[in-house]
Amino acid sequence: MTSPFDQMSERLTRNLARFSSRRGFLSKFGAALLVSPVFPLLPVARAAKGESPKTDFERNAQATDDTKCNYWKYCASDGILCSCCGGGHHTCPPGAEPSPISWIGTCLNPQDGKSYVIAYRDCCGKPMCTAGKSCLCDNSDRELPTYRASLNNDIIWCFGNSSATYHCSTAALVGAVK
Amino acid sequence: MLHAEMTQLRTARTNYLLNCGGCHGLEGVSNSRLVPDLRDQVGFFLNLPEGRGYVARLPNVAFSKTTDEALAGLLNYVVFSLGGDSVPKVTKPYTVREVSQLRRQPLTEVSLARMRQRMVSVLINQYNATTELRRYGEDAY
Repeated sequence: MTSPFDQMSERLTRNLARFSSRRGFLSKFGAALLVSPVFPLLPVARAAKGESPKTDFERNAQATDDTKCNYWKYCASDGILCSCCGGGHHTCPPGAEPSPISWIGTCLNPQDGKSYVIAYRDCCGKPMCTAGKSCLCDNSDRELPTYRASLNNDIIWCFGNSSATYHCSTAALVGAVK
Repeated sequence: MLHAEMTQLRTARTNYLLNCGGCHGLEGVSNSRLVPDLRDQVGFFLNLPEGRGYVARLPNVAFSKTTDEALAGLLNYVVFSLGGDSVPKVTKPYTVREVSQLRRQPLTEVSLARMRQRMVSVLINQYNATTELRRYGEDAY
């Protein structure tokens, strides 16, 4: 006398054998293998190559207007853009001096798809620049919380200057990520 | 690929910039009174076994976001490239194993300022090190 379990599993196995063929399975499996390289953009595949998925900032970054917050070098700029205050994205406005101490991160250049090392220097020694709202940025790619102070952008980096008054923020390209 | 593995694949120079260069400066000098100069100075510490350990056991070094391999490369870049003539003639590069052991004993229980001052006195008096080593810690403002 066989148990109901035995009967059930026997029925399952026999049905499986009757209604499915090994060749059928092999042909479907082979087709799947053939088609799989067509989908290399799955996150898993990208991660395996060491590429990290693009951040929101990187998807909208541009390389033409450095008075806009989405200019690619500003990927972690938190402050008023010096390029709106009479300076450039890597130079201080007249009368302000760059902080010798900054924090350093990386930004992705949308033109060549490569990452570059950026020094987020503040310009100091003048009262805070007054510029339009569109020049007030708060980007935070690869920034870390204040307890990792060396990678934080909430800090006013003017503390190493003779005057610690904050004027505006720059993002100087200091090298390629190699 | 893990972030740590990616860090390791970067050159020592890039790892230096991303982990140290913000405060120590792109070429190892920033505000000398606020952040110790590395350029032409860091090598002096390797005259002393304690100093060789000190460089790797400093909290920001030991706790840096780097693998042991990357950190060993980074330290050798700092000492032999930025350190210039301050490096003693017979200095051996840091090995991965050495760095791995040193960073597991971070200097968290001592006064770093006093420890440095003590070593700097010995280095200046007995090893002909530059008195520039004393600039760090002078009133920064």
